[in-house]
Order: sequence, then structure tokens, then C-alpha cells
Amino acid sequence: MKDKTESIKQALLTVLALAVMVVIFGVFLMTQGVNPIQIYGDMIVSTLGNSYGIGQVVVKSSPFIMVAVATAISAKAGLVNVGGEGQLAIGALLATFVAVFVAKSMPGPVGILLMLVAGALGGAVWSGLAGLMKVKAGMNETLTTVIMNYIAYDIVSFFVYGILKDPESFSWPMSPEIADKLRLPEIYVGVSIGIFGAVAVAIVTWLVLKKSACGFRLRVIGGNAEAAKHAGFSVAKIQMAAMLISGAISGIAGMVEIAGVEGRLRTTTGVNYGYYGFLAAWMAWNNPLAAIITSVVIGFLCVAGNVLEQSSGLPSSGTKILMALVLLGILWKGKGRKKCS
Amino acid sequence: MFITSLLSGAIQCGTSVLYGIYGETVTERVGVINLGTEGCMVVGALAAYVCTYHTKSPLLGILMAAIGGGVLALLHAILVIGRKANQLATGLTIMFLGLGLTSFLGQQYVSVSIDGLSMIPIPVLSGIPVIGTALFNQDILVYVSYILCPLLCYLLFKTRLGLLLRATGEDEEVVFAYGANPKLLRYIGVVLGGMISAIGGAQLAIAYTHTWIENMTNGRGIIAVALVVLAGYHPKKAMIGAYIFGGAQALQLLLQAQGVHISTFILQMFPYLFTICALFFASRKKVQAMPAELKKIIESSANS
Repeated sequence: MKDKTESIKQALLTVLALAVMVVIFGVFLMTQGVNPIQIYGDMIVSTLGNSYGIGQVVVKSSPFIMVAVATAISAKAGLVNVGGEGQLAIGALLATFVAVFVAKSMPGPVGILLMLVAGALGGAVWSGLAGLMKVKAGMNETLTTVIMNYIAYDIVSFFVYGILKDPESFSWPMSPEIADKLRLPEIYVGVSIGIFGAVAVAIVTWLVLKKSACGFRLRVIGGNAEAAKHAGFSVAKIQMAAMLISGAISGIAGMVEIAGVEGRLRTTTGVNYGYYGFLAAWMAWNNPLAAIITSVVIGFLCVAGNVLEQSSGLPSSGTKILMALVLLGILWKGKGRKKCS
Repeated sequence: MFITSLLSGAIQCGTSVLYGIYGETVTERVGVINLGTEGCMVVGALAAYVCTYHTKSPLLGILMAAIGGGVLALLHAILVIGRKANQLATGLTIMFLGLGLTSFLGQQYVSVSIDGLSMIPIPVLSGIPVIGTALFNQDILVYVSYILCPLLCYLLFKTRLGLLLRATGEDEEVVFAYGANPKLLRYIGVVLGGMISAIGGAQLAIAYTHTWIENMTNGRGIIAVALVVLAGYHPKKAMIGAYIFGGAQALQLLLQAQGVHISTFILQMFPYLFTICALFFASRKKVQAMPAELKKIIESSANS
């Protein structure tokens, strides 16, 4: 009973912290000369008030869910992987490569499967590099993964301006459009089956982390690496595995962006998605199921950002501020279990 | 001539990172890691730019930058010291807030150029062959960064305040037993660090590029955090990392100007690759130099 009232109290406190942030952002909007109540209203009506808006929120949320789950997996192993951004980009790059150069003349499903493998491989290579630097050289993974994001942007640009450039695009830096048969099937206007994949990944990850021996090992290491070492766990191996799986999932998120959403690679494909996914994971305290919800919230804020621009003329980056404020509210409130530990 | 331009470019380019390293060194010495240094720097860049644009006074611009960076760092401090929030997650959020705020508020200023700070050749010294113009024909913020190095060394290692700040990063209970307030000292370290870092952003906007571009720090704050490790948490070695980073960037611009046929994007990777190499070498030997309180934070940060 006590537990239940306590968790209700915690939930209420979270809502309160979020409400305060929404008010703070409202005041900020007022200083910019717009009516916050009207803006908030517009945001909700145009995103959740029609099927197109809802579809957009779902489309945006899918990659965030994947990256958030990926972030959670590495976090459970005691690693702060902020490289979802770069891993997604390299995954998208490799998937596009396969689509443009290899899978053109293959049957659709085979081609899609190949793209999926390529995406996962790309992401895993990118996170694996950071993993190696961590376990072999003791380099801080938070720093290496962020720095590798910048390198990934440059690699993507190198190819999109280079051999992957669409000859028919004139000066626009983008890859050729991938064949129709390589696109993921649509389940709704503009929404591909990618969302099912994302949710499935989250559920499976949750189950594995919670119920399996493998998940248990991960949690022990994440809890106390030193103790795990004494208990005979191979910390380096498990951390490396966590990084590889984490990168593969982010890479698949990149593949889904290509095959399910954009249809071609641009230099802007997936930019910031890695960070949004990371924030979604932290907002959910690295719980994969809760990350579905936080990802949808962030997806909603992303789509709402465009509304901000259309209806008030303010830059859409305003929602980045709102997003940061929301997260600060959650960090301020804390997990609520500190006294026990 | 090539050497002179390279050296001069390395210093101009590297100075913003140098301030970032100075700032983050102070922060980490009190046992706090602030990935929001990126945010502090970008806020510093915009604040300095906007203020200089409107008041025509670069000095006021620098002041505004320091205030802006300080406020953002204070936010970080309140969360991680006052509320014991996760330092890495909070830092990234602060970075995100800084990037969001500046791209929002700075939109109307994009690519408008200003006079800002100009080069001030130092008599006699700037006449030294090869290195003279590189070292002593620079803007005022570069000269300040030269002086800041011994100044910070003095503050951290020769004063009572410095001793207390460093002790807070090593073992806060000792500081407490000594009768000082470790929390307050942490606040001082983090806010001071944010202010110094933000001046780096100011240098980037009003002295180096004379313009404002969205997200113009481009990872410099994160790189500064990485290079602090290379410098062994000591201001006296901060210049090494900063100028090699600046050199990698300057080399890229120079090669482009000479018409060398290497992709821009490959060249743009140099500074980042260098930072990774630097981390590699630093991680091999400098681990024991990390302040003890900070070590605790880093080791437990993924799940708290």
C-alpha cells in the first residue's frame, strides 16, 4: 500500500514539474510577443486533431523509440552511449548504399532484408569502434560517441556529395531515390510498418532485460562493474556486446528512415534524432517500455515545432527549448528513489 | 610563410577551445563534469555577437557572454549539486538548451557580419621572424588567453581558494571537516568554469569569424571537455591540445585555399580525429590525475 501511494506521489510530482516547464516556456513565448495559450492550442489541434498530424507524430516517434531502446541497453551495461546520432547516420548510409548499388535488381523483400542487415551492420561498426576504445583503451565512451557523431556527419556528406549523389538532382546534395519495391509497406497515410518494428524492439528488449539471464548480467555490470568483475563476469565482453547491439538498433532506425520515410539519403537525414532518442531514454529512466511513451512525447513536440513556425512565425527551434525544459524538469524531480540507495 | 599562416591560424582557431578547456578544467577540479560547456560556448557566442552588434562595444559583448555562460552553468550546478541529478544527462540537456535558445533567438542575426575585435600587433614582439606575427599579431582575447594560463595556475595552486576548490574535487568530506562549504565551492567552480568557456564562444563569434551562424561552436565544447583529460586537468598544458585542434582546422582551410584536391568533408574530420587520438593517449596514463570525486561520478553515471 505504501508503495502505491508513493508511486502516485512520484507521478504527480513529475506531472507538476512538467507543468511548471510548460508555463515557463509559455512566459518565454509571451516575451516573443505571441499568445502562448493560442500556440499551445494550435499545437495540439494540428497534431492530434487530424489523421495526418497523428501519422506524422507516429512517423517521427519511430526512430526515437529505437534509439532510446539502444541507449537504454548500453546504459544497463553501465555505458553512456550518446552516439545514436552517428550510428543512425552510418546505418542509413550503408542501407542506402545497398539500395542504390546492390539491391536494385533483387526481389523487394530480399532487398529490404539486405538493407536491414546493412543498416544494423553500419550502426554496429560505429558503436563497436566506441566500444573498443572503451574496453581496450579505457576511453570515456560519452566523449568518444559524441565526437564520432560529428565524424559521421562528415562521412555522410562525403558520400552524398560524392559517389552517392543523384546525377539528376543538379546541385542538391542527396542520393538517388531508392526503388519502390525497396520501400517498407505503408500501413496508414505516410506511416510505414517501421513503427511496429520499433515497438516490437522495445518490448523484446524490456523482456530480455527483465527476465533473461543475459539481462541480469547486464544489470549487475551496470550496477557495479567492480563487483561484477569479482563475481567472474567478463565485463569487457558484455559491455562490448551491449554497445554492438545498441549500435545495430540505432543503425536499423537509420535504415527505416531511408526505406520507410525519406526514400533517399540527404545530409539532413536523421539529424538530431540520435539526441532526441537519448533524451527519450533518460526521460524514461532507461526503461524500454516507458521510452515508447517519452519518444511519442518528443515526436509530438517535433511535429508541434513546425506548427509554431507556421502559426506564429517563430523559428521551429523553439520546441528544442521546450524539450530541453521538459527534460530539465524531469532531472530536477529526479528518480524519486534516492533515499533508498 | 606557410608555417606562419598555419601557426597564426592554429592560435586563432584554437583559442575558443582553449577557453573551453580552461573553463572545464576549473569545473572538473571541483568534481563536476559539464558537457553543457558546448551550450555555454554557443550562448557566449550569440550573446557577444548580439551585444557587440547593437552597442558596438566588443567589451560589453564579452561581458554579456560571460554572464550568459555563467547563468547556463549555474543551471547545471543547481541540478547536479542542489538536486544531485545525473551529471552527464544534465550536461547534455544544458547543451541542447543552449543550442535551442541560440538558434531560436539568433535567427535574425544569421550571417550579418560585424567589425568586432581587430588584430592588435604588439610592438617589437610582432616583428620576430616567423613566429612574431603568429603569436603577437592577434586579437585581445588571444592575449588574454595567454595570461589566463599562469593566472589560473596561480589561482588553483597558490591561493587558499584554489586549494579549497581542488580539495572539493578530491574529497568533499575533508573540506567539510576543515570548516568550509564544499557545496558553495562547487557552485563557484562550475559557474566560473561556464563563464570562462563562454568567453571562448565570444572569441569565435566576434574575433575569429565576425559573424553568427546557428550551432557555430560545432562540438568545440565537447572537444574541450575531452581535451581537459589530455591536459591532465591542469591549465598549464591546455594550450597543447587547443592549438593542435586549431592547427588541424587551420590546415584544412589552408589546404583548401591552396586548391589541394581533398574532399572538404575528409579535411573537416581532422580536428575530431585528432581529439579521439588525444583521448587515446591521455587515457593511457592520465587516469590517476582525475579528481577523485569526479571519478566516482563518472563510474556511476550510466544508471543513476
